[in-house]
Amino acid sequence: MSHQTSGNELDALLNKMKSAVSPVRGILRELHEKFLPTLDGKVADYIPELAKADPRWFGISIVTRHGQFVEVGDFRQMFTIQSISKPFVFGLALEDHGRDDVMRRVGVEPTGEAFNAIVLDESSNRPFNPMVNSGAIATADLIKGRDFPERVSRMIAMFGRYCGRQVHLDNTVFMSERLTGHRNRAIGHLMLNFGMVGERIEDSLELYFQQCSIQVNCHDLAVMGATLANGGVNPITGERAIEARYVKDLLSVMLTCGMYDYAGEWAYRVGIPAKSGVGGGIVAVLPGVAGIGIFSPALDPKGNSVRGLKVCEELSTRFGLHAFESTPGAESLLAELQPSSR
Amino acid sequence: MAKIISVHSFRGGTGKSNVTANLAVIIAKLGHRVAIVDTDIQSPGVHVLFQLDPKRARYTLNDYLWGLARIEQAAYDVTETVIADPDGSSARLFVVPSSVDSGAIGRILNEGYDVGLLNDGFQELIRDLRLDYLFIDTHPGVNEETLLSIAVSDVLLLVMRPDNQDFQGTAVTAELARRLNVKEMLMIVNKVPGGMDRQALREKVTQLYEAEVAGVLPFNEEIVNVASSAIFSNRYSEHPFTRGLLAIADRLKA
Repeated sequence: MSHQTSGNELDALLNKMKSAVSPVRGILRELHEKFLPTLDGKVADYIPELAKADPRWFGISIVTRHGQFVEVGDFRQMFTIQSISKPFVFGLALEDHGRDDVMRRVGVEPTGEAFNAIVLDESSNRPFNPMVNSGAIATADLIKGRDFPERVSRMIAMFGRYCGRQVHLDNTVFMSERLTGHRNRAIGHLMLNFGMVGERIEDSLELYFQQCSIQVNCHDLAVMGATLANGGVNPITGERAIEARYVKDLLSVMLTCGMYDYAGEWAYRVGIPAKSGVGGGIVAVLPGVAGIGIFSPALDPKGNSVRGLKVCEELSTRFGLHAFESTPGAESLLAELQPSSR
Repeated sequence: MAKIISVHSFRGGTGKSNVTANLAVIIAKLGHRVAIVDTDIQSPGVHVLFQLDPKRARYTLNDYLWGLARIEQAAYDVTETVIADPDGSSARLFVVPSSVDSGAIGRILNEGYDVGLLNDGFQELIRDLRLDYLFIDTHPGVNEETLLSIAVSDVLLLVMRPDNQDFQGTAVTAELARRLNVKEMLMIVNKVPGGMDRQALREKVTQLYEAEVAGVLPFNEEIVNVASSAIFSNRYSEHPFTRGLLAIADRLKA
């Protein structure tokens, strides 16, 4: 072991201890305790596998751009990433084709429609944005590769870079998604009809069902968020997950379109780029500061985690994390994570 | 605000648990509410000094870390065991033992636990038992419990013997403590042989670690009579060892 490596490992260990005693841990515990009794909402049940989730599960994780992390509750519980995969695959599509080409296939316009609406922009035939299912299928179709297996492995490898570990699919969820994905197939074929996707749409749908079935926990989500907060470099591994110039593309569609048809109110009230999934996860990004991962599978009627929304809303209010806050508070959150200021 | 005091030594056999227990008793006797947490999960021991049988203790620190109990449920009031006439005094002393069951020790070493929970436990204990002082007795050497205890403490007491292995090892701990931004680090040199120049030793340690020496305690034979089963300062109240501890307790209260 080189001195460099052991130094980094020691730093990581010391950071872990500093995080464990930081005041932010106390705040996360308080939020966890406060919202734990909230039993509103319903676990997604459109496929039987998702309905097996325990509505009591609840974890919160914050990872800073320096790689410090604070986490409470069921932060190790695995679940499927679902729609949270969408902005990240959008990022890979941007790297593969550049902004202009991607924009010809999918817009960046928020839609008031539900995430699974079968609607395209009438003037351009494009899906409105990459966060609704139609747009996500169109972006999945853009992922390059010599053949289908290579496209899939590039997508999986990308999530591995964001998470800082090898990621795996939940096969049962994947099989259920593809067996019951009639609506998504219909969306794919509608786009095929308009020439917005190519003949490989069947493969692309498979790719889309696979990306939704990736297993993560709320620590992973926070690391993914922290990677975006850190200009595209995973702060734990130091590996680049996405070209720096595209980070803002992801964050702006997350801010405007990330929370299904609650996106407008979200941008207004909370003002943090975020993406939710029907597995119960939410990833939120405080640019230049930290990533937040929350997991609680009980969803509101729009498909967002009930407790996840509450935690984000309270963190945003308490620390002044809204993107357009007159006195930005994200730095104060970072300061609270650094016990050196004690 | 309660004061958190971690007591650590790089190697075993420095008399760390004995120093911890005596300091806690001395401070409690002054009318304070004090607790000792034994975070030495691998080789627990501080309970012995209070005649607390952890086999009969329903809950231990291990149960708290596994989520089977609140930490207050693992806190045992030992005031009457060590303070002669606690009535009418606000003095209280609690001990949170670690399990001495080999299965429980094995399980926690094997499975690990979320080290953040240990900090949560300290905070809960301070709040729920309305503590003035929390002493943390740590495992010798460097491990996660130790590092966390150092990171959370207001005062770190480093106990060492006057020998070369302790001198070197303590330097490692002192460096880690500085990197963890410990607020205050005090050195205690224990088991100092009678013939040794205590003033020279004090100066050497001060210079070596750039830290204040809170006490240079004599090696004492009487402690063998107590045989780790009672509080030394209670039985030998005028002994130089006890007087040294009283001075350290005064320093901790400052």
